[in-house]
Amino acid sequence: MHLFDVRGNFHFCLMKTLYLFILYLIGAPLVGAWLAGWDRRLSARLQSRVGPPILQPVYDVLKLTQKENMVVRRSQNFYIAYYLIFVIFTGALFFTGQDMLLIIFSLMLASVFFVLAGFKASSPYSFIGAQRELVQIMAYEPAVIFAAIGMYMVTGTFEVSKLAQTNHWLILSLPGIFFAYLFILAMKLRKSPFDISTSHHGHQEVVKGITTEFSGKALAMIEVAHWYETTFILGIVYLFFAKSVVAGLSAALAAYVFMVFVDNAFARVKWPLALASSWIVAFLCGAGNMIWLFFTRH
Amino acid sequence: MFLKKSPWIIHYDGSSCNGCDIEVLACLTPLFDVERFGIINTGNPKHADIFLITGSVNEQNKEIIQNIYCQMPDPKVVVAIGICACSGGIFAECYNVLGGVAKVIPVDVFVPGCAARPESIIDGVVKGLAVLEEKGKKFKNMKKGLATLSIDPAQIQDSAEILALQKAAYQSEAELYNDFSLSPLNQSLEEIKADFKSKIFLKAVLNKVIVGSVRAYQEKETCHIGRLIVHPLYQNWGIGTKLLYAIEARFPNAVRYESFTGHKSKRTLYFGRKRGYRECRREKVSLKRERVFFEKTREGKAR
Repeated sequence: MHLFDVRGNFHFCLMKTLYLFILYLIGAPLVGAWLAGWDRRLSARLQSRVGPPILQPVYDVLKLTQKENMVVRRSQNFYIAYYLIFVIFTGALFFTGQDMLLIIFSLMLASVFFVLAGFKASSPYSFIGAQRELVQIMAYEPAVIFAAIGMYMVTGTFEVSKLAQTNHWLILSLPGIFFAYLFILAMKLRKSPFDISTSHHGHQEVVKGITTEFSGKALAMIEVAHWYETTFILGIVYLFFAKSVVAGLSAALAAYVFMVFVDNAFARVKWPLALASSWIVAFLCGAGNMIWLFFTRH
Repeated sequence: MFLKKSPWIIHYDGSSCNGCDIEVLACLTPLFDVERFGIINTGNPKHADIFLITGSVNEQNKEIIQNIYCQMPDPKVVVAIGICACSGGIFAECYNVLGGVAKVIPVDVFVPGCAARPESIIDGVVKGLAVLEEKGKKFKNMKKGLATLSIDPAQIQDSAEILALQKAAYQSEAELYNDFSLSPLNQSLEEIKADFKSKIFLKAVLNKVIVGSVRAYQEKETCHIGRLIVHPLYQNWGIGTKLLYAIEARFPNAVRYESFTGHKSKRTLYFGRKRGYRECRREKVSLKRERVFFEKTREGKAR
């Protein structure tokens, strides 16, 4: 575990983890909100509009906290609170450098709470949204797990703290896995063509999908969770380029900008295509990459 | 306050000819780009702050408009766009048209025009933002001023304000039974003025605004308490309890206090039980509704 270093210097490492955690707790939503602001500005420019201020996502969330919290059932907010807590927990594990597999399971748990909230609200739109969210989880999970396993095959560790200090350019050994991860990034960032569960822009077939029945503080919590999630998801992109900090950060930023372009360039697809294509890419490129690694490394 | 920095809109087409609708959507295009002001056209009433309605109200869309309005979380603002939404326009005389949007829900801003230009629609929405902001602020200040709440006898001059309050307070009841024909919602000013002759009215005043009211009269030994209302934004602040105890104190000679509510109004029934009232009988008033009477005798008084 990270809590102990080689000399058993427990206290020092605990303090470091604590500092990292606090830095993450404050920093991650700021980064997420800042990125979301640029996303909206960039999208507007792509459509030759001026676009909102960069702080617009922050204004949105602050406004939502001032609104009435309407519910179909009170318990739906309970699940949303747990969704937020587990997303924060997932990111905390990641940014304090814990085990990659544990992080993936924790992320899974967070998503499950979100899905439960959608089902609990029991309106047709949130119901369909929740079902599609389940499909989405199924679609992106292989690529995420392949990313963890691929990194393990190259470096021999699942621990993020060690992965972040590796001497390898992971991207050079894992191009296929990186492509598969990039492919499902649109799902995690809730962008077209794979924005099937929430439908980011209204006036589409599922209105706002899984978030339809949430308002006020609950919706604000979903937004904040999304900021945390964005930062964490881009953190995994960083790991592929972790040999150099500059390369890692630019790669993460470039991946996000790329996703904004993709979002603006594609229409949303139907769920069977989203599922099939992400699995095909994950198993073709991701698993193919792993097989290639297996034969070249032994 | 951030309400005015991120107003999300829901747009509903009543029975518009699509002229105003197209102009509303034109506001989102690169030329006008209302997203500059953080305005988003959400398709979802639960996410919306501003309700834009185009076209007149008719018998078929009346309930839909009321439903969308009820589904929007407070604070919220309604903007009627185009002359049809303002007054019914040239369709006002049609047999199936009720008139402007104000006939069914409270409207805050009217944007006339046929069709209303995108510039004037944006102007109207910006005016709406000021109203939205004001509503939010009012709510905040009200809670601060709760210590200064006073309960006084109401005068006949207060009748218009109490009537408006009554209509706001009974919205949730109407929603509960899906029945907008409830008598409190359809009482006229003359009727409530006539009530002043036979009943004692109390008003709860907060920051010079009437936020709650109750009325009662005595018949033999029984005091009949009715229409205990508190503005939806200021409920659960203890105003209702204060009003109830104050009106009971006004009838020291009464042996029995009686009131009623609908059978689905669980909150009211719970409120009564908590304050020493017991259910005594039920009466069917319509297919949808059953009246539940509850009573309290003097000995059973909590105080």
